[in-house]
Amino acid sequence: MELLSNLAIGFDTALTLQNLFYAFAGCLIGTLIGVLPGIGPVATLAMLLPTTYALEPTSALIMLAGIYYGAQYGGSTTAILVNLPGESSSVVTCLDGYQMARQGRAGAALGTAAIGSFIAGTFATVLIAAFASPLTELAFKFGPAEYFSLMVLGLIGAVVLALGSLVKAIGMIVLGLLLGLVGTDVNSGVARFSLDIPELTDGIGFVAVAMGVFGFAEIIANVEKKGHREVLTSKVGSVMPNVKEMKDAAPAVVRGTLLGSILGILPGGGALLAAFAAYAVEKKLAGPNADPPFGNGNIRGVAGPESANNSGAQTSFIPMLTLGIPSNAVMALMIGAMTIHNIQPGPQVMTSNPTLFWGLIASMWIGNLMLVILNLPLIGLWIQLLKVPYRLLYPAVLGFCCIGVYSINNTTFDVYMTVVFGALGYLFYKLRCEPAPLILGFILGPMMEENLRRAMLLSRGDPTTFVTRPLSLGLLLAALALLVIVTLPAVKSKRQEAFQEAA
Amino acid sequence: MKIRNESDFWSGVMFIAFGLFFAVFATRYDFGTAQRMGPAYFPTVLGGLLALVGVLVALSGLGRAGKGGKVEKFHFAELAWVLGAVVLYAVILRWAGVLVSMFALVVISSFASHEFRWNQAIILSIVMAVITYVVFIMGLKLTIPVLPAFLENQI
Repeated sequence: MELLSNLAIGFDTALTLQNLFYAFAGCLIGTLIGVLPGIGPVATLAMLLPTTYALEPTSALIMLAGIYYGAQYGGSTTAILVNLPGESSSVVTCLDGYQMARQGRAGAALGTAAIGSFIAGTFATVLIAAFASPLTELAFKFGPAEYFSLMVLGLIGAVVLALGSLVKAIGMIVLGLLLGLVGTDVNSGVARFSLDIPELTDGIGFVAVAMGVFGFAEIIANVEKKGHREVLTSKVGSVMPNVKEMKDAAPAVVRGTLLGSILGILPGGGALLAAFAAYAVEKKLAGPNADPPFGNGNIRGVAGPESANNSGAQTSFIPMLTLGIPSNAVMALMIGAMTIHNIQPGPQVMTSNPTLFWGLIASMWIGNLMLVILNLPLIGLWIQLLKVPYRLLYPAVLGFCCIGVYSINNTTFDVYMTVVFGALGYLFYKLRCEPAPLILGFILGPMMEENLRRAMLLSRGDPTTFVTRPLSLGLLLAALALLVIVTLPAVKSKRQEAFQEAA
Repeated sequence: MKIRNESDFWSGVMFIAFGLFFAVFATRYDFGTAQRMGPAYFPTVLGGLLALVGVLVALSGLGRAGKGGKVEKFHFAELAWVLGAVVLYAVILRWAGVLVSMFALVVISSFASHEFRWNQAIILSIVMAVITYVVFIMGLKLTIPVLPAFLENQI
């Protein structure tokens, strides 16, 4: 059994005292920051990325993965208790979770979310371990043309899943690709678009973009809102769901897990799509006579999406680990982190760094276990944190961001770049342009150009190479199919409906 | 012509501006051929594509009245307090050291809140300066100037 021996390598790595500590620290800090309203996983990861620089690569990635799960789970906590989704994938959790909280069942909602997430996480971990080897084999058959087509598919996938206008999302992707090209061109050595600023010849810092657009811009957007938020903390109740709730929740957890696992693998997929789809499925299956009705605190509306977003979050690691292609903004950040640690993401990671690869996978399961152990007893602490007023939170967050950005290269230039992207991110927010596709484009920009160049060089300038190679053609057809499906009138109105329901 | 959907229209204008900037700026680099692409090739294509997307988005803003297309008011005061505080932090970091800069950053950025209170802002700043020292300087051993330059030299 190759799978078992691989997992054994993984657990050997992940169960060292040191790595256990970093997985724990990641989950704890991730939850801590993720619980703060308005700070989603992307902003949390960007903010905490610098704290992992000093670690060795395996520990750093394990810690980052822990931060991601923690932030994701923290977002659900805020969704249930404050009706404020920490991030887009817990938007649907607000619908029924908050209603449960208002009926005094906050504890059961939180408990179901945690247990559902753990089951989903366990299943997804096994899935990743099983899929990793065959997919990596496939990846070695990929030439530059296939990689280029795969990235096109991934970007189209991201467009389809962006909230709001499709064309705007395409615009944000292309803008991201262009920003990614700033800096020295590897082929010619020309410093492109550097505006004669020496620091820009190395390109725009990834953390500066992510932290500016997701962190700073969100802070400004939150500060300007004058409303008061209501925290339901008085009666959280027992974290154990009662018998009826358990009966209702169990099948929803199973369905959410399966759905999330599949949707997470798709390019552009991940937690967000998984959660939306799972909610829709549960609502459809329950029918109009659900007791209590959906939107009025039905536990299935919490169990399904919460399991789905966790398994989706996890299986979205598959394309990142095997192909080196990020499928969403969080994976783009993970790739950024790998390159900072001098690991070239791609199919060779599994063979060249087996302990890192399998250690990370094993630590996913450990991380999920820790979330359950950590979150259920510590709920009281997170609630205290929610009571801290925003006027005290954001200056502290800002402070940590500034230290983090500075310490990447020990230069204040990165801090100024973050300010620029903060202002730009605020403009995007006001113009209702989703920033997630921009980050994806930013990471893929240089990769896409490089593969395009190589493919065209190999084909002697013949662009038909992308459609004559069967794998590449298949990927491009899939991208085309996605675009066609999403522009079909029936699907289009459904898509808008789904996003509107959440908004 | 009437702008029906403001946010679409202005997003389109923004895309056109960025697209043209990159496409025009790229003309100073070598374009190359399809087989051997120069540094200008990909940016020019993408810049053109972005401008085109921008035109489509802007036109759709003129054409249809989408729901919630109005661009909300920009809160420049909040923007200035938050980003200004960060800029100040970066400017004085090298000679004032991270403790002083952090103090200034927290106090000044606190002004952005409509619930600003002096005493809380000061206490928070001190707490943050202490956390910075304990966690980042002592704990993670980051190499950031700690004390103001004139004090550092005397020790």
